[in-house]
Amino acid sequence: MDSSVHLDNTVMQFGDFTAIQKTDLKIESGEFFSFLGPSGCGKTTILNMISGFLDPTQGDVKIGGKSMKGVPANKRPTSMIFQNLALFPLMTVAENIEFGLEVRGVPKNERKKASDRLLELVALEGSGTKKVSELSGGQKQRIAIARALAVEPQVLLLDEPLSALDLKLRQHMRTELKEIQRKTGITFIYITHDQGEALTMSDRVAVMSAGKIQQVADPITLYRDPHTAFVASFVGENNGIRGKVLSSDSGVAVLDCGPMGKLAGRSYGNLVVGSEATLFIRPEHFRLQSEEGMHTVHADIDEVNFEGSYLTLHANASANQALSIQLGTHQFSDALKIGAPVDLSYDEENAIIIAGEDNV
Amino acid sequence: MFNQLKSRFGAGLAFGILGMVVVWLVILVILPQILMIDYSLKPNLLPSEVGGPKDAFSLVNYETLFNNDIHLAIFFKTLWSSVLVTVLTLFVSYPIAFYLAKVATPQKAALCLLLLIIPFWINEILRTFSWYIILAYKGPLNALLLGLGFIDRPIRFLSGDGGVLIGMVYAYILFMIFPIYNAIESLDSNQIKAARNLGAGWIRTHWRVVIPHAKPGIATGCIMTFMLAAGSYAVPALLGSPGSRWFTQIIYNWFFEGGNWNQGAAYAFLLLVMCIGFIALVMRVFKVGLGDIAK
Repeated sequence: MDSSVHLDNTVMQFGDFTAIQKTDLKIESGEFFSFLGPSGCGKTTILNMISGFLDPTQGDVKIGGKSMKGVPANKRPTSMIFQNLALFPLMTVAENIEFGLEVRGVPKNERKKASDRLLELVALEGSGTKKVSELSGGQKQRIAIARALAVEPQVLLLDEPLSALDLKLRQHMRTELKEIQRKTGITFIYITHDQGEALTMSDRVAVMSAGKIQQVADPITLYRDPHTAFVASFVGENNGIRGKVLSSDSGVAVLDCGPMGKLAGRSYGNLVVGSEATLFIRPEHFRLQSEEGMHTVHADIDEVNFEGSYLTLHANASANQALSIQLGTHQFSDALKIGAPVDLSYDEENAIIIAGEDNV
Repeated sequence: MFNQLKSRFGAGLAFGILGMVVVWLVILVILPQILMIDYSLKPNLLPSEVGGPKDAFSLVNYETLFNNDIHLAIFFKTLWSSVLVTVLTLFVSYPIAFYLAKVATPQKAALCLLLLIIPFWINEILRTFSWYIILAYKGPLNALLLGLGFIDRPIRFLSGDGGVLIGMVYAYILFMIFPIYNAIESLDSNQIKAARNLGAGWIRTHWRVVIPHAKPGIATGCIMTFMLAAGSYAVPALLGSPGSRWFTQIIYNWFFEGGNWNQGAAYAFLLLVMCIGFIALVMRVFKVGLGDIAK
């Protein structure tokens, strides 16, 4: 069954405020797709448009190829897991799960079978007669998933459903969600501001900022080849070094970074010579030993933090250029102490130069 | 309770606050009721006979009601009509309360609340009189309906129960709207979205999610409206016709026209017992506890 979701040139405006700029995006059938962005970037608005709680100002939302124009929220083949779960507190666990089936007029014995099967899927067999208030946070989470799956949706929408859980449980639920998605084959659309969640679970991620989709890619591409300064600094940790473009040729550009000298890296997009650009290097890509063809930055160590399997350094390369560096613990030596000078080398392949400024 | 207040306000103020509550309860609530019960159990005597052999407790005044078919009919009619007023007020108030709590923007809700409250700055008698004018045979409502062509001759709103029902629904609407509004406002809007998202239409969303949540508020509003309706005097006196007399009017007549306070007190006490009993019954039927209402 085609359960793709197509945002067909969708725009959402509230009065003068444009919450979602013109977006054309196709989420494939059976995909685990995430929208990642800071709060207020419009990701929940997208979810509300897909579920039918908001009608786009322009454009259309298509689910399984069918236009959803004029289709109210209760008639769409979507099902949502809310940030606060929104379980019905006055109903039992089973009544919660069966609510969607009851609405569809499914007879009682079939509803019971369905809720038993779903309780088994979320590993909470026999909890049907419990009250919602008797469940722990993680159990409520699973009941919310069961309730949403009970109506056999084509698309499951998840609005930061893990944000209320503690870290351990959150990591566990990540695996579990991914597992459920694999078992059911439903299209999952996941909203989060937590990049860890987005990167570990998703097939593809759309990074959003201020109502605009910055980049859509699989997690590894997003991490390795960010297309905008926003993506480079929002996804994972990054060091942004500003400069003026000196040259840009066949995928490699050189920036004049003032006191830090000339630095080179892979370039993305059209870089105009003389314009502002930012060079991004991830903390783990700095080396203490320079090799053939590497570029070197001189800096002074401000801080050394031992984190177990790795080591983070904070260093300054010039008055307003702080750098963070991540090294394997085996690289620790007495030379790495506060105030000591350090030579940081990187491979041109691991640095990326993007037009504009890093503005996160 | 005294210790709690004392630790918060000091002994002097705590004593003052509790003292005022006690004075209010004893002098303004309990004593008059006891006095009324005492009155109701004694025959209506001439001043010279008070303290004499005829001044003895009896249930004669209570028996009067059950021996008078007309009064008994009005007694039950008052009960039934108060139920009707309560149900009508609920039907009118629930959509308004839901709109105010969940649909309207804060500005619109504030405006609506203001518009609802302003008429209540005017005295109840005057408001009821205004309905007398609106509902009159040659009044503006009939003129409007005639002008719009909905009717071809004026309706006598004020004969029969129509005027009383309209007047009472209007008089007590705020007592119904506010408790329901408060109850619905505390409902997480995501609950409504979740019900919609799972496929529920509007009626089922209200029936399964909003109304169960708002039940204590609905119960509070209904109890207040029912008590006020059953105890109302001004509205039936002004908007009623001879055929729509209210039990309160009979009580009034015993006190101030018959001059028989003892008989009036017995009637008043019976009305009170009937109201409390009826409410207790309804609360049991709808499985609402006192604790739910106090929330």
